[in-house]
Amino acid sequence: MPIQKGKLRKKELTINMGPQHPATHGVLRLELDIDGETVVKCTPHVGYLHRGTEKLGENRTYLSALPLTDRLDYISSMANNVGYCLAVERLFGIEAPERAKFIRTMASEMSRISSHLLWLGTHALDIGAMTVFLYAFKEREWILDLFEMLTGARLTVTYPRIGGVKADVSEEFLSSLYKFTDEFPKRIEEYETLIDQNRIWLQRTKNIGIISAEEAVNWGLTGPMLRGSGVDYDLRKYCPYDAYDQVEFDVPLGKCGDTYDRYRCRMEEMLQSNRIIRQCIEKLPQGPIMSPDAPKLTLPPKERVQKDMEAMIQHFVLITKGPITAPDGEMYSAIEAPKGELGFYFISDGTGRPYRMRLRSPSFVHASILPKLCEGSLVADVIANIGTIDIVLGECDR
Amino acid sequence: MGVKKIIKTVFMLEILKGMSLTFRALFRRPVTRQYPKHKREPFAGFRGLHALTRRPDGDAVCVGCGLCAAICPSQCIKIYTSEGADHKKVVDRYEIEVLRCLYCGLCVEACPFKAVVMTDIYEYSSFTRQELYMTKDKLLANWDRFSEKRKKTYFGSFWKPLFTDFSGSDKQAKLQDVSKAKKHEDIYLEAGK
Repeated sequence: MPIQKGKLRKKELTINMGPQHPATHGVLRLELDIDGETVVKCTPHVGYLHRGTEKLGENRTYLSALPLTDRLDYISSMANNVGYCLAVERLFGIEAPERAKFIRTMASEMSRISSHLLWLGTHALDIGAMTVFLYAFKEREWILDLFEMLTGARLTVTYPRIGGVKADVSEEFLSSLYKFTDEFPKRIEEYETLIDQNRIWLQRTKNIGIISAEEAVNWGLTGPMLRGSGVDYDLRKYCPYDAYDQVEFDVPLGKCGDTYDRYRCRMEEMLQSNRIIRQCIEKLPQGPIMSPDAPKLTLPPKERVQKDMEAMIQHFVLITKGPITAPDGEMYSAIEAPKGELGFYFISDGTGRPYRMRLRSPSFVHASILPKLCEGSLVADVIANIGTIDIVLGECDR
Repeated sequence: MGVKKIIKTVFMLEILKGMSLTFRALFRRPVTRQYPKHKREPFAGFRGLHALTRRPDGDAVCVGCGLCAAICPSQCIKIYTSEGADHKKVVDRYEIEVLRCLYCGLCVEACPFKAVVMTDIYEYSSFTRQELYMTKDKLLANWDRFSEKRKKTYFGSFWKPLFTDFSGSDKQAKLQDVSKAKKHEDIYLEAGK
């Protein structure tokens, strides 16, 4: 039947990208209204991975809520653990000893490298460069093996504790980590050889998903998303926690805030993380790894529990009731996680459990800018945009 | 457009550079491990399948205090106790639902008697849930399997002690004396064999 002129209705097509799309890194669902190849409207739907971490945290003591934070941003769980422990330490007004601070700094930079390597591999894979994925995962495997050596688990580490870290680092671990830092800059060069000047990569990333500095601040972006637009804001630099004030590093910045700038930013960040780890190993001080001035917050050593009645009572009370010395009030504490600013907000009512635990997760904030990035762009660039905001849905949906 | 740029565009120099890297990788040693044939030994302190340690007389060390169940974030440990002869607490059932476990290792830290431990066994997939619901007997069998394989002291060399270094602290001076006094970690392993 021939098409009659004027009878053909023009209407946008609504398609679902996700929740089971290989390029959405989890369970993000985007509702796209498309006109041909152009996206007219984009609506992100989150919540498919909601596990109620905040509510669960209210029903656990401060001690036993720690493993829940592993599952927020599950590819950089060390940073989440450090953020949680730091927040609780600030709530109780204690501080970890120097050695523990350096170990934590070292470990969270390791998690930054592993997170950025995963981002690099999958982002490049989505855009069409498969080789770099294999190369990046080789080094990521190395980091994960180091995590296993340090903590006993590859991904869900549960390594820092309130007032310190779980176990001391071994010489074997330190030397293999040092070897890694020797090798890693060469690997970065390899990734750059593969994609940095590649014309397909440049066409897919340059001038795609531009965010101006003003917009980035207004949308509440943090981390490499903000620094890619040229805003110099890094919590490690401007309100240093742990041992960040004792190590030297630069904050890489982008210029025009497109996907390529954010890529450059993250690559530079990996090198800076490498630098921080090196300095941490070189400067690692001797001393205790658990805060000795917080006996009401940390589990006493097992030898003491079996011998000393007081320690036994403290052990039982701490585990069954939680640290009951919690002060009343509320506080917010944030760290610079690989994805951005990860904040913990506690309301304490003096019991061993928080009255309210609220998480400020960078991925959730970053997901909100997706409609702005995608509207008016091509469908193929939606994938590039999802890759560049580097969200993890475990953290987004909590 | 300069001559240099034209040459670069026509001969695809940057792509050739990348290709040469992949070509060179052909002569490198492969990093992949052929898993079922080659297995890497887990590092010390690996958090794998749970086990209950044995007393010299063959029974479990566990006294049923319930601290592991109290600290467990996913609440997957269940302990049922009763009063036995001469008013002693008897652990009738000790169950861990392995499928719900987070493998955080907090139960091991909470246990005052090192009765519940985590082994380096990581291959225990199953077609049924029943098999992965660990009862007391299964947990004791895990310990036998582990100690047979390891043939080493458990806590001393494998599981990392929780807090090792308190040096430089006056408050903990007393503590150090206690910890130096005696280490009875190896007893249970010897009995388990």
